[in-house]
Amino acid sequence: MSGAERIRAGLEAAGVTLAASVPDTWIGRLMTAVRASKTIRAVDVAREEEAVAVACGANLAGGRGAVLIQNAGLLNCGGILAGLVDLYRIPCFFIVSLRGDVRDPVYYHAPKGRVTAETLGAWRLPHATADRGGDLAEQVRRGVEFAAESRGPFVLLISGEDLA
Amino acid sequence: MTGRKPFLDALVAALAREDVVVSCLGANARLLPHMNVTVPVFALCDSMGASVPLALGIALSRPERHVIALEGDGSLLMSPNVLATAAAARPANLTIVLWVNGHYESSGGQALPAVPVDWAALARASGIASVETVGEPAGLPPALGRARGAAGPAVLVLPIAFDPAERIPPYSERPEEIRARFTL
Repeated sequence: MSGAERIRAGLEAAGVTLAASVPDTWIGRLMTAVRASKTIRAVDVAREEEAVAVACGANLAGGRGAVLIQNAGLLNCGGILAGLVDLYRIPCFFIVSLRGDVRDPVYYHAPKGRVTAETLGAWRLPHATADRGGDLAEQVRRGVEFAAESRGPFVLLISGEDLA
Repeated sequence: MTGRKPFLDALVAALAREDVVVSCLGANARLLPHMNVTVPVFALCDSMGASVPLALGIALSRPERHVIALEGDGSLLMSPNVLATAAAARPANLTIVLWVNGHYESSGGQALPAVPVDWAALARASGIASVETVGEPAGLPPALGRARGAAGPAVLVLPIAFDPAERIPPYSERPEEIRARFTL
């Protein structure tokens, strides 16, 4: 089973019913695996703030929504994280591709990589970095449960290597 | 041109048991708690542009409900992409009611960028097949009925008069109260 399939298995095990996404190269590969799910509705959106709202809508409706985006898109989401997720205390689980760290060979992602960790801290976003040497599905399931139980956000950072 | 409240009265009177209302921030969100609304309402007090995708997530998750998103022209101008997203997802149980008064009413009545956006054309160009402009409150219930019967998401455009003297109550519910009361 590939890393992408293990992540999908974690989403399914956590009862995720809807995954809203704006793709990048890595998230696009992950979404290919998610689209094969029989229990998760994949929703393609045009901007990352939309993905957050769509996922929150699923949660308000009794389902479980997830947001799959790049870190550039997460940087777009400060307003809606404050004004929807935090203000109304809605669970919102994110899988975010961490572009621009030392594992990313593409130079133009580096500025995003330099500010992602500090932004997560400044925005007080609970987060973890996926460990592909461990149980990826369980890491995803725990993140979804954390969001549900805390009625707030949780961000799981992934790299392209995690999807192999 | 008619003001907001007669349209809102007509909309509330036309709501059906299976309906769910999601309101963008501003006058509608502040007026609805003072009206006799018998269906679940999720009212935003922030997050411009979120009402349509929030309603979309509810609609896709609960196909037995009809979700009505109330959106303002200023809010939609900030994120018109939500129309294409809704069109692509094709929920037949989503109606977007767009209130057009050319002003950012909740922030003091500043004018929108001075360009006459054709909202109905924008919705159609974004892939929404069912689009109507409703000029009078009496036309809203039958238009909502047609929207309910559409094969995909629908948009109803309501041109309303901007009245800087309109009496709009303050937000009377806290977000946590709105969240707690919103059950489907």
